[in-house]
Amino acid sequence: MGKFVQLVVDGLSTGSVYGAIALAIVLVHQATGLINFAQGGMAVLATYVAWRLTVNDVPLIFAILVSILFSFVVGAVVERWLMRRFERGDPDTAVVVTIGLLTLITGICGWLWTYNNQQFPSLFPLDTVSFLGVSISIRSIGTTLVIVVAMIALQGLFVGTKLGLALRAVAINPESAASSGLPVGRLLMVGWGLAAGLGAVAGALVAPQLTLTPGMLDSTLVYALAAVILGGLTSPIGVVVAAWIIGVLENLAAVYVPFIGFDLKVAVPFILIFVVLIVRPQGLFGRKVVVRV
Amino acid sequence: MATPSTSTSSTPSTSTASSPASPLWQRPWARWAGPPLIVVVLAVLPLVMTESANDTLARIGVFAVAVLGLNVVMGYTGQVSLGQIFFLGLGAYVTAYGVQSGWNIVLVFVLTCLIPAVVGLLVALAAARLGGLAIAMVTIALPIVGVPLAKRLSDFTGGSQGLSARFVEAPEGSGLYDDQWQLYVVLVIGGIVFLLTSLLVRGKYGRAFAIVKGNENVASSMGISPYRYKVLAFTIASLIGGVSGFLYMVVVQYTSPETMSFGHSIELLVAMVIGGAGSIVGSILGGAFYVVVPDLTNAVDPSLTALLQGALLLAVLFVLPGGLVSLPRVLMRRLRRSPAGRGSAAPPTTPSSTTGSGTAAEETETERQGHA
Repeated sequence: MGKFVQLVVDGLSTGSVYGAIALAIVLVHQATGLINFAQGGMAVLATYVAWRLTVNDVPLIFAILVSILFSFVVGAVVERWLMRRFERGDPDTAVVVTIGLLTLITGICGWLWTYNNQQFPSLFPLDTVSFLGVSISIRSIGTTLVIVVAMIALQGLFVGTKLGLALRAVAINPESAASSGLPVGRLLMVGWGLAAGLGAVAGALVAPQLTLTPGMLDSTLVYALAAVILGGLTSPIGVVVAAWIIGVLENLAAVYVPFIGFDLKVAVPFILIFVVLIVRPQGLFGRKVVVRV
Repeated sequence: MATPSTSTSSTPSTSTASSPASPLWQRPWARWAGPPLIVVVLAVLPLVMTESANDTLARIGVFAVAVLGLNVVMGYTGQVSLGQIFFLGLGAYVTAYGVQSGWNIVLVFVLTCLIPAVVGLLVALAAARLGGLAIAMVTIALPIVGVPLAKRLSDFTGGSQGLSARFVEAPEGSGLYDDQWQLYVVLVIGGIVFLLTSLLVRGKYGRAFAIVKGNENVASSMGISPYRYKVLAFTIASLIGGVSGFLYMVVVQYTSPETMSFGHSIELLVAMVIGGAGSIVGSILGGAFYVVVPDLTNAVDPSLTALLQGALLLAVLFVLPGGLVSLPRVLMRRLRRSPAGRGSAAPPTTPSSTTGSGTAAEETETERQGHA
């Protein structure tokens, strides 16, 4: 029983990281209608910046904050100078552009900081706390909490502020938003920046566990995309819930299903997808989009 | 490999062909003489080139076939696939296992086609149910799941050690070296695959693919099921991927889980777009890009490979959306016209020349969208 609870809590923590990247992908998709395959890569770049600062004895929390800011700027710049040109065109082309961006960022990280694994300091102590006879790692709880707080803050921004209202308006209908005087271009940059900032949070939290490499978040990206498919592209909450389900299920499957084990647990979300696709093609929480010709 | 005919066949024929200003390859005699000439050159080349050049050319052939498969599903049918390398790896494993088990080589080849095709069919049946980019999001899992799966199934795959199989040796009495013989095998099998594929994409199915790519609603209204044709294209791509895996074993003679890593899968896609999406010649250029660029960067600094590939891909998307294969055409147009008539942001997944008149309409449409 104790082991089970531990697995669930650890699953929620990795699920939160998947959820953060997945939420970033959904944010970008809502604003610009494309899937950013470089979302993980941009987060890795930000994490490298944080790591570089900690090597120079900058306090960890400060380094992470700087990396989030850096990531925000990178996201905005990428939107303005790279993606803008492809946004309203063929979505397949835009996807290829983001894949090119992923390759480029991976290449830059590998070139600047080598492909070797780097140790990234943990924000939380590696101890466990006992709770009703079950020991739970502080890092897992901390990771989950930080990401949940970040998501709530984002939600607050979107619902409670004027900027959030403008961002939502642009996401729903860019043309109408532009005619009512909103600076659509700048808002798109902000949207991309927020998504990239969220990715940076996830990167810094997961880096101590995975150790920092240029391809650190490649498999996380795959989990996040699985969560996006399961949750449906139109539902931010659905995506995060799906990410938690994936995180918990893969952890349980790794331990309790002998064939899967730890090496094959990445297959779990895709088995789940195959089942869901056959039963509910629009995703668990998504709405079916009807297109009028 | 009768490939140059594809680049010429789409150009408006009679009037330009006879004018003195038309380029060499558009003249009628060049069209008829071209393919046999290429065949002769390819037949002689392996005999006169060095061993390493033969090996490089053979590897280009292998990956040209893999890129061609990716082109069928992505370039011609417009479905982004990130899993093509998985089918190359699967084909290589099937070949290696069959050879090690001492099966008849023809049977091995047939299985190398069939098994990846069946796996591709199953993946596509599920993935194509979701519209849009879901195929990209699902197929990205193939290499990510494939590598640990290959390590796990060590009874068949040799685990992390991989499998090696040496089965293509120059026959006694032919007087050929092994590298020459391997190159001939790649040229013949690859040539047949290219020929069949170019027939496929120019025929009835190719037109159906182009319509599915252009507009799924239009396709449905014409009685062409987008779902069915997406599944078909993906299955064919998987089959061609399997064949490229067979050729990979012919040339490299060794496969490991690393063969189908995520990075290689991305590189294959990069190579396809840079070579030219939706183009037969572009597939060959893509195969050359896939092989030559890492060879060159490894000589300078291996850590530069990914950086260079990413930068080149983005540069091509910005200035040459049709890929390298469209370079001569773009240059010609620049020379002939004033610089004002510059085409912009055509998608790289547009069939560049082979689908004929449909291309022009599509290009203008995306141009309009690109400036919204």
